[in-house]
Amino acid sequence: MSEKKDVWQGTLALMVLKTLDTLGPLHGYGIARRIEQTSGDLLAVNYGTLYPALLKLEQEGYIRSEWGVSDNNRRAKYYKLTRAGKKQLESEAREWEKTTSILARFLSPGEEPS
Amino acid sequence: MRHLRACALRLANVFRKRQSDEEFAAEIESNLQMHVEDNLRSGMGKEEARRQALIRLGGVEATKEMYRERRGLPIVDTLFQDVRFAARVLRKNPGFTLVAVATLALGIGANTAIFSIVYSMLLRPLPYKNSSRMVTVHTRTAMFPTFDISASWPMFQAIRQRATALESAAAYQSTEKTITGQGEPAVLDAANVSRDYFEQLGAKAGIGRLLSEEDYKPGQQLVAVISDKLWRTRFASDRAIVGRTLILDKQIYAVVGVAAKNLRFPDRADLWMPLSLTPDIEENHTFFMFQILGTLREGESHERLSAQLASIAQELVKLKPALGKDLKIISQPLLENTVGDARESYLVLLGATAFVLLIACANLTSLLLARGWGRHREMAMRAALGATSRRLRRQCLVESCLLGLLGGTAGIGVAILGVDAFRAMAPAGTPRLDEITTDWALIWFSLASSLLAGFVFGAVPSRRAARIEPLEILKEGGAGGAGTFPKFGNALVVLEVALAFVLLTGSTLMVQTLAHLIRQNPGFRTENVLTFDLPQPPAPAAPDQNKETFANQQIERIREICDNVGHLPGVQEVAAADHGVLSGMRYVHSGLELEDAPSDQSVLQGSVMERYISPKYFRILNIPLVRGREFDQRDMRSAPKVIIVNESMARKYWGSIDVLGKRISISMAGKGKREWNEVVGVAADVRDLDIQSKAEPEFFMPLLQRSVRSYHLFVRSEGRADALASAVSRQIWASYPDQPVTHVTTLQKTISETIGDQRLHTVLLGTFAAIGLSLALLGVYGVISYSVSRRTQEIGVRVALGAGPGDVLRIVMRQGVALIACGAAIGLAAAVAMTRFIAGELYGVKPNDPATLLIAFLLILFVGSTACWIPARRAMRVDPMVALRYE
Repeated sequence: MSEKKDVWQGTLALMVLKTLDTLGPLHGYGIARRIEQTSGDLLAVNYGTLYPALLKLEQEGYIRSEWGVSDNNRRAKYYKLTRAGKKQLESEAREWEKTTSILARFLSPGEEPS
Repeated sequence: MRHLRACALRLANVFRKRQSDEEFAAEIESNLQMHVEDNLRSGMGKEEARRQALIRLGGVEATKEMYRERRGLPIVDTLFQDVRFAARVLRKNPGFTLVAVATLALGIGANTAIFSIVYSMLLRPLPYKNSSRMVTVHTRTAMFPTFDISASWPMFQAIRQRATALESAAAYQSTEKTITGQGEPAVLDAANVSRDYFEQLGAKAGIGRLLSEEDYKPGQQLVAVISDKLWRTRFASDRAIVGRTLILDKQIYAVVGVAAKNLRFPDRADLWMPLSLTPDIEENHTFFMFQILGTLREGESHERLSAQLASIAQELVKLKPALGKDLKIISQPLLENTVGDARESYLVLLGATAFVLLIACANLTSLLLARGWGRHREMAMRAALGATSRRLRRQCLVESCLLGLLGGTAGIGVAILGVDAFRAMAPAGTPRLDEITTDWALIWFSLASSLLAGFVFGAVPSRRAARIEPLEILKEGGAGGAGTFPKFGNALVVLEVALAFVLLTGSTLMVQTLAHLIRQNPGFRTENVLTFDLPQPPAPAAPDQNKETFANQQIERIREICDNVGHLPGVQEVAAADHGVLSGMRYVHSGLELEDAPSDQSVLQGSVMERYISPKYFRILNIPLVRGREFDQRDMRSAPKVIIVNESMARKYWGSIDVLGKRISISMAGKGKREWNEVVGVAADVRDLDIQSKAEPEFFMPLLQRSVRSYHLFVRSEGRADALASAVSRQIWASYPDQPVTHVTTLQKTISETIGDQRLHTVLLGTFAAIGLSLALLGVYGVISYSVSRRTQEIGVRVALGAGPGDVLRIVMRQGVALIACGAAIGLAAAVAMTRFIAGELYGVKPNDPATLLIAFLLILFVGSTACWIPARRAMRVDPMVALRYE
C-alpha cells in the first residue's frame, strides 16, 4: 500500500504560512497542491483539515483572504500573508528547527550527549 | 490576544451564517473546478477528471461541517437552538407556562420586594461621608440603667480628647422651635450643632452656605440652616430664601442656607443652628443634654473605642463621684442606631419570602418532573438521533432557566407594586422610609434569583432527562417507566407543606397578636376624643421673679384656651395634661420620699411615672377614682399641695389603696427642701403608657400649679372627634395667633398608630403565608392528580375486580393525606424551632402556643385534603373499560 501521510495538525499551519511566504497570494487548491508537491507527494492534504486551518489562521489575523481571478480566469479566494503572519512564521520556524534538532540529537546513533 | 480576537470573530459569525455558508460553497466549487482543469490538462478524460477531483476533495459535507464548527462558536450556536426550542415548547403549552410563570412571579416578586426594603433599610450605607465608620455615643446611669441618655459637655470634651479611636466627634442637641410670623404657627424639629458637625457628615449646602466659624461668636446675629424639605414645603422652593429672617421662639434668625437634600440627620430635623453654651453648662457634669456623633479612625475597631469609653467613664466618676459608679459610656454604629429594633422583624420577613420562593421552586420542580415524564418518548427519540446526554440535560436547563427569567421579569413588576404598597402602608416611624426605593439593585436581585431558581428547579428534572435509555423506552412504546417520580415528587410535596406550615403558624400568631391588640381595652374611653399639643415658649433664664410671672401667665393662658375651646359647639369637655396618653411617652420621677415610713425605707428606689393633669382629666377619659376626689378649681398655685396616685402605686408603696391623707415628697431626695403633697385621690389602673404595657405605678399632680414645656389637650366631642380639628385650631389662633397647634389626632388614631408596625407585619406575613399555602396546595394537587392519571390503568383493574368508588376514593385520599400529614409534622417541628424569631413582636400569645399549632395543623390538613379531593373524584369516575383499553 503506497501510504501517503496525512499532515499533522500543528505543522499544517506552518506549511501554509511558509507556502504563502514563498509564493505570495494563493488559493486553497493551490496551497494544497504546493504542499503536496514540496513534500514530493509524500503528504496528502485533506481539504476537511485545510479549510478549517485556513479559517483559523485568518481569524487569528495571520492571513487575509479576498476573492480574485485565477490564471485561467476562474474566480477563487486568495489567501495572503499579513505582517503578523510573517512574524508568526519566523517564530514558528525557529521553534520547529529547535524541536527537530533536539529530536535529531536523540535519534542519531552512538553519540553520547556531551 | 490572538485567541480573544479569534473568539470575537467567531461570535460575530454566529449571526451571519447563511452568507458565510454560501461563500464557502463557492470556494469549494472553485477549488473543484481548478482541480478538474488540472486533471484535464494532465490528459484525463472529462468524466475521469471530474471523478478523480471529487475523490481527492473527499466528503464535501464533512468538510463543510468542520469548517462551520471552526467558523462559529458551536456552543453558542446550540445554546441559541436550545433557547429557540425552549421558547417554542413553552408557547405550545400556554397553560403550563402560565402557571409556572405566575408561581415564580409571586415567589420572586415577594422575595425581591422584601429584599429591596431590607437592602434600603439595613444594608445600604447612610448617605453621609464615611457613614460605615460613624458611631453614636450614649450614657447610661444608675438611675436609668435601661435607657440610653445623652452626654454632658465635660464628657463630650473628654471623649473628643481621649478617645483616640475616634477620628473626630461632634455634639448636637435635638430640640424644637416654634416658628411664627409667616403662615400658621408650627413646631419644627431642630438641632443645635457643634462646629465640626457638618464636616463630620460630609454635608453640603444646596443653596447658600452651612454654618461658619463666625456664626458661633457671641453677639452675632442668630442664624439657621434649613432643610430641603422645609424649604420646599414652607417656603415653596423660593431660591431667594437666603438672607430672609425667621421668627423662632420669638427670636429673629437669618437663614444662611438650605442643606442638600440628602442631609436628614438627626432624623426629621428641619433646622440647624449653632450650639451655644453658657459657662455653667460647660462645667456641668450632670447636664446630659448633648448627643454625640463620632467617626472611627480608619482601621480602628469598635472594641477599642468601647474600652477607651469605659476608661473615660471611670475617670469621670473619679473626678465627680456624684455621677455614681454605674456610669457607662457606650457607642453604637450609626446605622444600627438608626435602624434599631426594626432589623429583626425585617429579617424574619425576608426569611418568610425565602420560604415562599423555595415553595415555588419545589412546585416547579414537581411540575417539570411530571411533564418530563410525559416527554419521555420525545427525549428518547432525541437521544436515539444522536443527542448526547449533556446536550439533553442542557436543553432541559435552558428551558427551566427561560421559565425562571420569564417569572423573574414578571416578578419585577410584582416587586415594584409590592414596594409601593409597602411605602403606602408603612407607619411613619419606619426607619429610613424615604430611602426605600425601587432601583437597579431590585432588578439585578430579581434576575439573579430567577436564574438561580431556574437552575435549582431544573436540576433534578434535567438529570432525569439526561439519564434516559432510549432503547428501553422506545421498545416499551406505551406509557412506560414507573420509575422513581412518585417518590421524589412526594418528597417535594412534603417539603412544600412543611414550609407552608411554618409560614401559616407564623402568620396565625401575628393575626392573634393583632386581634389581641385591637381588642385590648386600655381601661378608659377612647371614642370621640380629639387630642393635640400646644408647645410653650421656654421659660426665661432668670431671675426667679420673672419665672413666677411667666408661669402665672402661662397657666392663665391655658385656662383661657380650655374655656374657649370648651364653648365651641360640639365640644363636651376639655382637659389638659403635660403629655399625651397611649403614645409610649414616659415621664418618670425618682427619689420620692414617703412621710410615715421607717427612715431607711422612706426614699423609694427606682422611678415612678408622673403626669401633670388639669381638672376633668379623669372624667373625660372615664377613669374611675377608687378613692377620694379629682383635682378641681381649688387646686390652685397657692393652694395646699395635693397628689393623686394610681392603684399600682398605692399597693406597691403602702400595701393598700386606703392611702388618702398620706403624704409624699416628690422633690429629689437630698436635694432642695422636702415639700409634702397630700394624697387626695386614688385612680384605677389603666394602660395609659401604651396599649401593650400593663399599668405601672404612676402619680398625678395638678397641672395648673406649674409651668410646663408643652400642653397636651383632650377634647371630648359629641360627634366625630376629627371633624372638630380645624374649628379648634381656628378658635385658639383667634386669641393667640402665635400658638402652634401640633400633632392633632384622635385617641383612636393614636392607638391604631401604636400598633402600626404589628399591623404591617401581620399583613405582610399573612400575604406570604397565603401565597405559600396556595402554592403548596397547587403542588399537592399537581402531584396527586398526576399520580391518579398514571394509575388510571391500575384503578381500572381494581374497579374491574370489584372495587367500589369509595375504595378508589380511599386509595387516592390516603396517599394525599399521608403526604400532607407528614409535611405538617415536619413543619410542626420546624415551627416550634422558628417561631421564637417573632417572639418579640407577639402580644397576648406565646410563640409556641399549642392551640395555634393545632389550628394550623388541622387547617393545613383540611385544605390539603380538599386539594386531593378533586383528583380523587376524577379517579372515582374511571371507567374500567376505557382504562384497560388505554394500553
